[in-house]
Amino acid sequence: MNPALWISKTGVQAQDAKLQAIANNLANVNTAGFKRDRVMFEDLFYQVDQQPGAQRDDNTVTPTGVQLGNGTRLVGTQKVFTTGNVQTTNQSLDLAIVGSGFLQVQRPNGDTAYTRAGQLNVNAQGRLVTAQGLSIVPEITIPNNATAITIGENGVVSITTAGTTAPTEVGQLTLAGFVNPPGLLAVGDNLYLETAASGAPIEGNPGEGALGKLKQGALEGSNVQVVEEMVDMIAAQRTYEMNTKVLSAADSMMQYLSQAVR
Amino acid sequence: MDALIYTAMSGAERALHAQQVHANNLANLDTPGFRANMELATSQAVSGGYGYDGRHLGALQANAVSGREGAVRQTGRDLDVALAGPGYLAVQWQDGEAYTRAGAMAIDPDGALSVSGHPVMGQGGPIVLPPYTALSIGADGTISVQVDGQAQMQVIDRLKLVRADAADLTKNEAGLIVSRTGDELPADDTVAVRGGYLEGSNVSAVEEMVATMSLTRDFEVQMKLYKAADGMAEAGNRLIRE
Repeated sequence: MNPALWISKTGVQAQDAKLQAIANNLANVNTAGFKRDRVMFEDLFYQVDQQPGAQRDDNTVTPTGVQLGNGTRLVGTQKVFTTGNVQTTNQSLDLAIVGSGFLQVQRPNGDTAYTRAGQLNVNAQGRLVTAQGLSIVPEITIPNNATAITIGENGVVSITTAGTTAPTEVGQLTLAGFVNPPGLLAVGDNLYLETAASGAPIEGNPGEGALGKLKQGALEGSNVQVVEEMVDMIAAQRTYEMNTKVLSAADSMMQYLSQAVR
Repeated sequence: MDALIYTAMSGAERALHAQQVHANNLANLDTPGFRANMELATSQAVSGGYGYDGRHLGALQANAVSGREGAVRQTGRDLDVALAGPGYLAVQWQDGEAYTRAGAMAIDPDGALSVSGHPVMGQGGPIVLPPYTALSIGADGTISVQVDGQAQMQVIDRLKLVRADAADLTKNEAGLIVSRTGDELPADDTVAVRGGYLEGSNVSAVEEMVATMSLTRDFEVQMKLYKAADGMAEAGNRLIRE
């Protein structure tokens, strides 16, 4: 059959995948700590039908050859780790990370996961947990007689209790950084897991190196730019349309051929 | 059989393969740094045998790349580079070098930079970065990073940037640009890059659509000639029968 059909199919498929990523980005425009996905394409391998420089006769070589491409391929989706807009919420348990670090949390199976979403809560046992109820690592317990909680830029958590003026230190939050954050595996729930591509986590106190400081009373929003996504969506839709036009052109060619033979 | 049908066949075959080139370009309308492939038809004289000197078969040539620039857009990502003006980034491919304009570089856990899995070449081989807190890529391709705990940015390496005429370039089977002679191109100081930007594909959707339409009609014309050749042969057969 006409190979153009299969080549256009790869183009249509690629735009389909791109639209899915755009839809997910737009759906998460209000998700705290969300990082947008970028879909990356590359051209498929080329088949060389005629090598340039092939000997045509004793004295002449072909100056140019024939190389036919095979379409496009989705190389992968890449999380773009630019910083989202930081909103001031004035909630004492909201944390924004000003830098490239991640908060560590413990998953139910005991594994450590990483997150940028700093909407913390205190659970029934007084432990600091994320919005999903996962404990922060290292574990920090807030006594139930606390009247105010202060989290410093350096991650020191202190409380004041009724009747005292001096704050008491109850724990130290730490952050983890990665050499290649886009290599992390996004598992949903705003969580990321370490992979061979991301490298091992580099743990440290907030404010050290690139990890960044903590800002209490602020939240990092999603880094999705609505206008950019909309423009991408229009482009994806039109590219899809043009690839289907080539599909129908290739189909017409086959139709002319079959009609030529009686 | 009349020679006409074979002449028409070469035209139909050319249209079919040329359609493949345009389908591939359109499929890569959204591939960063993609260079459009160009196809052109040439005629090949058929010498010897019977027939007139006027018999020329159509043949396809398709291994030229378009040197036009694609649309550049801002991404804000440190490791994205777009080439400002003509030029290419050098990457390692097999034992030698190949070139690309796709500037979405990735970093692996050891700090090595790559584009679609091909190591990015610096002044003296593939670029490996130390762990850093901030990174910036200058207009001349200089990569400077701020190493943990230091206030000053320090220069680590410089991207190998090359320039060549589009006419001297072709693609290899992996879709990377190589020189026609197979030689490595020397680094060129005049090539400029922009960090935080990414160049899109240089495929012109309008051109490709028009070419697709025109090729479909070309093919239809060849099919009409098939029918004409068939009709003539049939007329001859009828003559003998009666």
